[in-house]
Amino acid sequence: MKKISLIQLKASHKGKVAEISGGGNLQNKLANMGVHKGKEVIKLSHIGLRGPVVIKAGRSILALGHGVAAKVIVELE
Amino acid sequence: MIKKIYLIGNPNVGKSVVFSRLTGVQVISSNYPGTTVELSKGYLRLENEKIEVVDLPGTYSLESTSSAEEVAVSLLKEYSKDEIAVVNILDSTNLERNLLLTLQLIEGGFPTIACLNMCDEAVHRGVQIDIKKLEDLIHIPVVSTCAVTGAGIKLLIERIKETAPVLRDKIPHEERWKEIGRIIEQVQHLEHRHHSFREMVEDASVRPVTGLIMAAGVIYASFKIVRFIGESIISRITDPIFIKLYQPVLERLTAYWREEGFWFHLLIGDLINGKIDFKQSLGVLTTAPYIEFGMVLPYVISFYLILSLLEDIGYLPRLAILLDNLMHRLGLHGFAVIPVLLGFGCNVPGILATRTLESKRERFIAATLISIGVPCVPLQAMIFGLLGAFGGFYVAGVYLVLFCLIVILGAILNRTLAGYSPEFLMEIPPYRFPPLPTLGKKLYFRIKGFLIEAVPVVLIGVLFVNILIYFKLFDFITSISAPIIRGLFGLPKEAVVALVIGFIRKDVAVGMLMPLGLSAKQLFIAATLLAISFPCIATFIVIWKELGFKDLIKATSIMVIISIIVGTALNFLILK
Repeated sequence: MKKISLIQLKASHKGKVAEISGGGNLQNKLANMGVHKGKEVIKLSHIGLRGPVVIKAGRSILALGHGVAAKVIVELE
Repeated sequence: MIKKIYLIGNPNVGKSVVFSRLTGVQVISSNYPGTTVELSKGYLRLENEKIEVVDLPGTYSLESTSSAEEVAVSLLKEYSKDEIAVVNILDSTNLERNLLLTLQLIEGGFPTIACLNMCDEAVHRGVQIDIKKLEDLIHIPVVSTCAVTGAGIKLLIERIKETAPVLRDKIPHEERWKEIGRIIEQVQHLEHRHHSFREMVEDASVRPVTGLIMAAGVIYASFKIVRFIGESIISRITDPIFIKLYQPVLERLTAYWREEGFWFHLLIGDLINGKIDFKQSLGVLTTAPYIEFGMVLPYVISFYLILSLLEDIGYLPRLAILLDNLMHRLGLHGFAVIPVLLGFGCNVPGILATRTLESKRERFIAATLISIGVPCVPLQAMIFGLLGAFGGFYVAGVYLVLFCLIVILGAILNRTLAGYSPEFLMEIPPYRFPPLPTLGKKLYFRIKGFLIEAVPVVLIGVLFVNILIYFKLFDFITSISAPIIRGLFGLPKEAVVALVIGFIRKDVAVGMLMPLGLSAKQLFIAATLLAISFPCIATFIVIWKELGFKDLIKATSIMVIISIIVGTALNFLILK
């Protein structure tokens, strides 16, 4: 299975969260918002020039700043 | 015995709407996370007993990760657990994520009732929840509500007294999502729905190309509509009232009152060609009400109508995504768009809304940029009224100068202040279409707030200025500041009065410019300077309270320096 970051994931593609390579605080924050290990997410869009990434996790839509998105690693099916 | 009721829940689940329903206290609620930055308190009558209800800021979890969440959690621990009831409000359309906090509350031993809000939207989106089953699984009372229409609120009130601590083992973090998954499987049934038109628009508004086109369209249309509604109210309603009804009354009064002494000067002001001129007379009964009701109020109504609509539809977080890039260059992130937009109404709520930004550095940058580069509605209305007469070109010029100033100043602050700008992380709400009564109530609430705060200050301000002018007390300030005002800014020396009054209220300050007969260029410079220079006293105080005295002095020094540079530059760069 290929592991890539949310930045590299193409728009309207799915991935399963494999790890969050940030500190514990970021991991908690994301987990509280519903993005945790094993969660399936769909990337909706990416605003260019180091802009945020928009994903769908469960029933919520989240916008992640470029730096955060780079730390979320997903597995492709 | 319940002594206090706390409302707690994830951001943007409608806590403030439930709060208003429970207590009758009207608070501002919008469709984006983090609307509530101040604690609201009210009372609920429960079996002939008045119990205090507290609306806590939105939090995703009891393990707080931001300062707003910390506030929520620490307040929850203020009273002993058998004296409180916790109303946990959940978004029915997103039960899975919302249950995390619910389980934490139960594990923490808080007497909790779960309130599944937005049930109408859940039905609409094909989400069915088995309330009874959920109650059996988590062992606390569960009610389904739709706070916007009021459905279910009565049942919620009845069942609050059923809350009691439930024994439950603490489980590790990783296990929790699995458990929530198991609960969801048993209680939630999703009907498959096709991609609706609304979802297509939602998607398009966050994609780079379509999103930017939509953003440009929304901003342009909002501006045009605010202008159109404002001008329509002025030409069809307020001007006829002032000129056809009020003016004859005042003229009859002045006909009997010919002496033109101190009181005449104070109340009526100067007669222009023997007549009262609402724009130039400067009396407490003439120009003061005209500024507030005839020039500013129409724009306050139209601005807040459009802002409230954009807030409740849920467009603002999408704008935040698109502008995140630009905001990063200024040391902020996308979310700062919201305080800035609120600042266009009045700088005070704008600066209060910076509480949702994480770091002190961000808050300083945002508050400074708002107080320098964002003109409030009253100031904008006066600029439209005065400068607009010379053509839209000049009005656009003021906005262009302010926009450049925000970008340049933000970039400089970002480079020079120690620290970094944290990353953007925000939940994006679905588009919602607010029922008209809800929108109407919010608009009424904001306009009432404006009138209560503005009218007394304007009347007292004009009175005070007239006394100072009558006794020629301004002459001293006028003559010492003349070299700067005349020499650097190219304005008549009397314009300093307006800059000083700007400290009290910006609309009155522009009013002071009206009788001076300024040229288009002079008015352009004066209006821009008023926008940049000292914020009005209310903003001044709120910066002091929010950021402390040191930062207030820092922000003020930046302001003074920039005012002088910009005023001088505009004077020498513009030829006509």
